[in-house]
Amino acid sequence: MTGQREQIKVALVGNPNSGKSSLFNVLTGLRQTVSNFPGVTVDKKIGAALLPNGSKVKVIDLPGLYSLHPNSSDEKLVVNVLTNPDDGNYPELIVYVADATNLERHLLLATQIIDLQIPMIFALNMIDIIESNNQTIDTPSLSDYLQIPVVPLSGRNGTNIDTLKSKISEFINEGKNKFIKETALYQPPEKLNGFLEKIGNLTSATNTYHSKILGHHYEWLNHLSDQKRNTIQSEIAQNGFEDLKNQIDETMSRYADFGPIAKKVIRKNQEENISKTDKIDSIITHRVIGPLIFFAIMFFVFQAIYAWSETPMDWIDQLFGFAGGFVQNLLPEAWYTDLIVEGIIAGLGGILVFIPQITILFLLISILEETGYMSRAVFMFDGLMQRFGLNGRSIVSLVSSGACAIPAIMATRTISSWKERLNTILVSPLISCSARIPVYTVLIAFVVPKEEVFGIFNLQGIAFMGLYLLGIVGALTAALVFKYILDVKKDKSYLMIELPQYKPPIWKNAFLNVKEKVMTFVVEAGKVILVISIILWFLSSYGPSNAMENAEKEATAYLELNQLTDLEEENYRASKKIEASYAGHLGKFIEPAIKPLGFDWKMGIALITSFAAREVFVGTMATIYSVGSADDEATVSERMAAEIHPVTGDKVYTPATALSLLIFYVFAMQCMSTLAVVKRETKSWKWPIVQFVFMGFMAYFGSLITYQLMS
Amino acid sequence: MRKKTVLDLKVGESGIVKSFDNLDYASKLLTMGILPNSKITVIRKSPFGDALYLQLDGQKMAIRNAEGLAILLED
Repeated sequence: MTGQREQIKVALVGNPNSGKSSLFNVLTGLRQTVSNFPGVTVDKKIGAALLPNGSKVKVIDLPGLYSLHPNSSDEKLVVNVLTNPDDGNYPELIVYVADATNLERHLLLATQIIDLQIPMIFALNMIDIIESNNQTIDTPSLSDYLQIPVVPLSGRNGTNIDTLKSKISEFINEGKNKFIKETALYQPPEKLNGFLEKIGNLTSATNTYHSKILGHHYEWLNHLSDQKRNTIQSEIAQNGFEDLKNQIDETMSRYADFGPIAKKVIRKNQEENISKTDKIDSIITHRVIGPLIFFAIMFFVFQAIYAWSETPMDWIDQLFGFAGGFVQNLLPEAWYTDLIVEGIIAGLGGILVFIPQITILFLLISILEETGYMSRAVFMFDGLMQRFGLNGRSIVSLVSSGACAIPAIMATRTISSWKERLNTILVSPLISCSARIPVYTVLIAFVVPKEEVFGIFNLQGIAFMGLYLLGIVGALTAALVFKYILDVKKDKSYLMIELPQYKPPIWKNAFLNVKEKVMTFVVEAGKVILVISIILWFLSSYGPSNAMENAEKEATAYLELNQLTDLEEENYRASKKIEASYAGHLGKFIEPAIKPLGFDWKMGIALITSFAAREVFVGTMATIYSVGSADDEATVSERMAAEIHPVTGDKVYTPATALSLLIFYVFAMQCMSTLAVVKRETKSWKWPIVQFVFMGFMAYFGSLITYQLMS
Repeated sequence: MRKKTVLDLKVGESGIVKSFDNLDYASKLLTMGILPNSKITVIRKSPFGDALYLQLDGQKMAIRNAEGLAILLED
């Protein structure tokens, strides 16, 4: 260890809403990456901080938690890391971030970690607010009590960040003595001594308090072997160690000890005037006005996602269209050119086209989170959502799904009960997303006359709204069913949510948050989408043996006999080829299954290809029915209206067929991007498969009933 | 006699926490800063009446009715 010293790891630890993320962003700037903690879907943010002497340290932002006796899975992760010195993320130094405006509660976790004897700097955050309230801070009293360095600072405006950095340098240069308190702040009751000593001997616990935490949480601590777990369990039985009671005793004793210190360190103002937050909340969380405001905000978010993303989405579409054309002209006509143009470039375009919507949605949601509004929405809707086996936070995801299920599913991470979160993930895609719009437009134009009722309501518009409502009803019904299947009630679920003071958003935080989520989407979902696009391209470009050449020849023969324009010729060839391809065979293969729904093999192909993404439906129908440009939705419905069954001579598309197709598209899981994200978020293929099957079931039987009733 | 809990407080009323009658909730509530001798004020109820908006010593938080039922108050 004489050469270059390995970069030390500094972990940021603190309660939720302690301003940890702002401090992380200030310390690391743009030098940060996001990865996953092994085995769990908790994001691990790592960055590098530059110290005054030019050296660098690695900074890890651990999820926020209130105590070493935790609730949710990401809180448990922190306890796993901090109780295992062999863990790859075990820090050499902790910067504990505390909200000075609420010091007492933030001291609980700090004193627990100090008793684990991990070196610590206490960052007393948000002193800008303390100062603007004309309150005083007595830093020496706090550092006397904790016997570690205390730095009053502000992550929001950057005050004293340099002091924090030079303290970190001091730790590197002078060693850890000044950063550890020798004697524990909390002494467990004497009658536990024997028990804790046994655990200490049994495990590699570094001190008595470490043993105590192992004793409390041995059941889920992942670094204990099964054998140790069993031994601890029998020790607990022998010594009559009461988990919850001892947790409570510890917490009460700590509060009693540091309570007077906390009051001395931050002197509260005498007059408690009604704060801005109180005034805002008397309207925002009002029993009647509150929910109305919520829906107004959500309506605005929804509108913004549509209105602001249209232009950039067109650009991306055009860019990829242009790139495809460019490559097509550049390379010789060969299979690999087709693969690049129709498989890879088209597939990439299909992923990247969602970026504007995702960016806008996440920007708006992260602003709502930064300001503190989100916890109010959770407070207002928790009860209603619980009745459906969901959580207060689910409502944000459900509304977001109106734009796109992908960011909505990513937003479920804030739900701490795993079963409530899973339920939210499973039902969110039932809410009609923007990709269903082109399909709805074509089919509604076909079945619903363009009339007005009562002189103001557009009948087609009403049909459109009806489909959205059907999606919402479907999602809530499915949630209710999963509530019982998953036995959601069994998962311990708490509300107990802090309602932080309203603050203006920090743009840097919002920006970094959005950037992180968009990148995750592009990389993780992108890999899967690309592979499936290539498979779909193959299926629709190739056929068994020489079926494709025969189709080509037939088409040529037909075209020699009939006079058609160039465009018509090209379309005719394309439709003959898709019929002969594997996709065409698949369509014919599934025809018996979809016949009761009123679909023929051509629609079968469209169903198969729109598994990639729903909006592919219009394009596929256009190809099959040889109608020029897919953008011309009116032509597609005209052509469909004229289609006649080759044997019976009946019309293929009756209103019953179209309605049946609509119902199918409302419920079916036809979006591989969403499935890819569900796989990522649930860390297993099980849940995307369950989702695909139950939504397919709803779609199939929904269509079946509709068609059989209508025809 | 029924014990007085946070649920017995009307909107705008305050009470002093005496103890808890559910160990699991107690351990979480303590962690969130609700301690014996803390003063709790009910600011308002949620739109569907199933949760409470509380003010306690400079911080605001929301809890479910079931969680409030576990907080016993001084008479």
